[in-house]
Amino acid sequence: MTVDIDTSVNGLLNGNRRILAKTITLIESSLSSHQSLAQAILDRLLPHTGKAVRLGITGVPGVGKSSFIESLGMLLVGKGHRVAVLAVDPSSTRSGGSILADKTRMERLCADSRAFIRPSPSSGTLGGVARKTRETMLVCEAAGFDVIIVETVGVGQSETTVSLMVDFFLVLMLAGAGDELQGIKKGVLELADAVAINKADGDNIEKARRAQRDYETALQLLRPASPNWSPPVLTCSARDLTGIEDIWSVVLKHRNIMTSSSELDQNRRSQSLSWMWSLVEEGLKDRFHHHPEVQHRLPQLLRQVESGMLSPTAAACQLLFLLDKA
Amino acid sequence: MTDHPQKQKWTDLATKQLKGKSPDTLDWMTPEGIRVKPLYTAEDLEGMEHVNTLPGIAPFVRGPMATMYSGRPWTIRQYAGFSTARESNEFYRKNLAAGQKGLSVAFDLATHRGYDSDHPRVVGDIGKAGVAVDSVEDMKILFDKIPLDEMSVSMTMNGAVLPILAGYIVAAEEQGVPQEKLTGTIQNDILKEYLTRNTYIYPPTPSMRIVSDIIGYCSKHMPKYNTVSISGYHMMEAGANSVLQTAFTLADGLEYVKAALATGMDIDVFAPRLSFFFGIGMNFFMDIAMLRAARFLWHELIKPFNPKNVQSLMLRTHCQTSGWSLTQQDPYNNIIRTTLECMSAVLGGTQSLHTNSFDEAVGLPTNFSARIARNTQILVQEESQVCHVVDPLGGSYYVEALTDGIISGARKIITEIQALGGMAKAIETGMPKLRIEESAARKQARIDQGLDVIVGVNKYKIEEKPLEDVREVTDAVRVEQVERLKELKAKRNAVEVQKALEHITRCAEGDGNLLEASILAIRARATVGEVSDAMEKVFGRFVATTQCISGVYASEYGNNTAVIDALRKRSQDFADKEGRRPRILMTKMGQDGHDRGVKVVATAYADLGFDVDISPMFQTPEETAKMAIENDVHLVGVSSLAAGHKTLVPQLIAALKAGGGDDIKVVVGGVIPPADYEFLFEAGAVGVFGPGTSIIDSANQTLNVLEKKHG
Repeated sequence: MTVDIDTSVNGLLNGNRRILAKTITLIESSLSSHQSLAQAILDRLLPHTGKAVRLGITGVPGVGKSSFIESLGMLLVGKGHRVAVLAVDPSSTRSGGSILADKTRMERLCADSRAFIRPSPSSGTLGGVARKTRETMLVCEAAGFDVIIVETVGVGQSETTVSLMVDFFLVLMLAGAGDELQGIKKGVLELADAVAINKADGDNIEKARRAQRDYETALQLLRPASPNWSPPVLTCSARDLTGIEDIWSVVLKHRNIMTSSSELDQNRRSQSLSWMWSLVEEGLKDRFHHHPEVQHRLPQLLRQVESGMLSPTAAACQLLFLLDKA
Repeated sequence: MTDHPQKQKWTDLATKQLKGKSPDTLDWMTPEGIRVKPLYTAEDLEGMEHVNTLPGIAPFVRGPMATMYSGRPWTIRQYAGFSTARESNEFYRKNLAAGQKGLSVAFDLATHRGYDSDHPRVVGDIGKAGVAVDSVEDMKILFDKIPLDEMSVSMTMNGAVLPILAGYIVAAEEQGVPQEKLTGTIQNDILKEYLTRNTYIYPPTPSMRIVSDIIGYCSKHMPKYNTVSISGYHMMEAGANSVLQTAFTLADGLEYVKAALATGMDIDVFAPRLSFFFGIGMNFFMDIAMLRAARFLWHELIKPFNPKNVQSLMLRTHCQTSGWSLTQQDPYNNIIRTTLECMSAVLGGTQSLHTNSFDEAVGLPTNFSARIARNTQILVQEESQVCHVVDPLGGSYYVEALTDGIISGARKIITEIQALGGMAKAIETGMPKLRIEESAARKQARIDQGLDVIVGVNKYKIEEKPLEDVREVTDAVRVEQVERLKELKAKRNAVEVQKALEHITRCAEGDGNLLEASILAIRARATVGEVSDAMEKVFGRFVATTQCISGVYASEYGNNTAVIDALRKRSQDFADKEGRRPRILMTKMGQDGHDRGVKVVATAYADLGFDVDISPMFQTPEETAKMAIENDVHLVGVSSLAAGHKTLVPQLIAALKAGGGDDIKVVVGGVIPPADYEFLFEAGAVGVFGPGTSIIDSANQTLNVLEKKHG
């Protein structure tokens, strides 16, 4: 891919979609040459980022995330916002390939010129989902999108990662789907700035209200992350378009409170710091595994630890010592 | 079960002939999961309750009528329609003169989805997969010089069922034929549209209300008319095996029965007017057994409602030979395939039959291919002497055992659906659609491995020029329809039309009969699109959620993973070199909702290591281009089964260029006549994959294109 940094930066700042798409491809690329290009572009864009509402949305498969985002997104573009949706789809570990079918459930939003939707496969990138999504978010901000929605499947590690890059983290739930927490890890509730019971329509409304009360009780037992915000529980229906507007009001209210208490800035600063640290840790790991001496010595040391000839502590010391050799 | 007294002797003999191997090694596990043995005996039939019953008498395994074809043969009913009403009318009258007995109308996809021909979303669809009908004026031309009091007319319509049925009723009325004299069938089977074909308009709940309104109206005013034709055909075409086809079709039927009962109707008022529509494929004995099993199960399912009229318990069906089984390669083989499938339907005891034309894998039938198709049935009826005996395979150990296998397999699935709360609820969970798609992906994998033989495609391939004489519908049809719409709108009484349309909207909000309201509007010259819109205001337009399976295609290869591994390696090598996997957007543009092919290809490509985006259905070329550009795919794969490709592909390529995506390549797959390949390449497509292309081949060719570009 031939890329001129000036053209890219100017194109992005002018909202050129093709250049935006191509820049995201660079960010997602596993080639280090693409990486350094992406970093060079990002450096130039940084002053133009940070103004958007960053909204993370999670929920188990089947909770209706995509339809919810379709409804919310249409509401927002109707209000004059420009909305970018970043969705991460799991890649198959066997074939490496993936199916990215989110847009089929965002029929109107993906055809709307005020929205930009980019589903991404989760595999095959340096630094994983986290780096890719975070940087893509910044590029979208620079390209003039003022609401960034990051969608993630709430069944793995990704929801913690996403909660650490957004201003507001919304957890979608279903009423009466058996187990109260539906296999979603209980820790996810601790990350929530709000919980919404989706599909509160038709015969389901009563059940949704009951679930609402149950989750309210559950959330009261958790210590809120901010002294100024207790996560509310709402109900909505992406199908009947009810409750969506209320959720957006909650997001804005949260933003006002967090802005006036300066927590928004604090959060973003601490997110940047923790982000830096996680990059450092990842970089160290990466450097360790790619170190030629380590690669050379590792098989033998593994065998020795396995067979009990060497203690794990001694082996670790030896391995780490190798790093100091140039 | 006891064994035949001489079974041991036979086993010894067979073992000897197999050079020591047990005859059990000859067992064949069918895709339905039925184990087929090399030999059946009377002992296999012990305890089967359907065996040795009589035709015309419950449980009707051997046929709904006592004398079946010995009294009167089945109705030869060829499904046809294309271009304008005038052209289709000429075609119908020619066929009727040549021995066809009933009419069966195919409408174009714009009509199915409730759009008039001048709507911007349908430019590639007008007159292509059927006849374009915008108003009762078109309907009158369609049936010109065809006496509707004598001719039974079947109409395949589900989405825009109200304006079309109303159009037929008003056309008859203006021919001087009162509605109570009308005979025929409206398909009106909306549930299966959510499973396969996707030619719905509204969400399931209001759609079911429309079905009930039609059943209610017709039971009062059109006593001889079949109000629902519960269709498994499209499920088979989408890849369902015979057990799935039986189970889902009967479960759909049961749902309509319950919906009608819920409106307070008596079962005997409508159940005798329900008919069925099954697809017949190449597994000769299986589909004979399928029709017998379906009749048995329908009786079993309806009996608990205690009908007084015995006809309520009888499954009567139309059948059609499989269009999917036809090949573009060595196309005259299709005549033989259709003949075998025709025999299967006849031996299964169908009430009417459509036989496909041999050229339907590439386009619409020509006059010549339509004649051969019709004659296939006429020959069986009039030359082969098969009509003299009712259910001639009744008592065949094998066919009876297969019948039993389908009964128990389908019964199990129907019970599962009932546990989910019926078919409408099951459809909401996505279960039936995923089962069909899984069945389709497995079949494709068997074909690509040569395990399922298709002559001319994966075995005995020949080098020859494919058919060139293909009927083509040009854009002139759309231009003509748009002109006619303008004329109609200039002549009619606009105030009266507006009032009639508002009345429909009020009925949709309340509980007036929607067919009654639609007849008033159509009589006032409201268009199909306007009547549909008047209801859409209240009901909304349905948007399908697409679920996609993964891993199924590759798993069907079992341990023979060499080709799969080779392709995965190519994808990985590409990723190592380019920084990401080959990324392809699979799309369907226009109103063509046949999504089996695109889903099978999508799941297979993901299994082969591609990143696969899937677009929503019914895209305009501009919408597809936007998505391709935003997702920055390497390639767009267009699936076209309804002849829209010559309009839509050039528009897509232009839209890609306009959005700065000129580096994004386009490949086209589906029903593409060989004569169009050159056109598509000239328009800028880099690959065209016609019917029968193995997925492995297409994936390799696709990678060749990408590697060349990036290499």
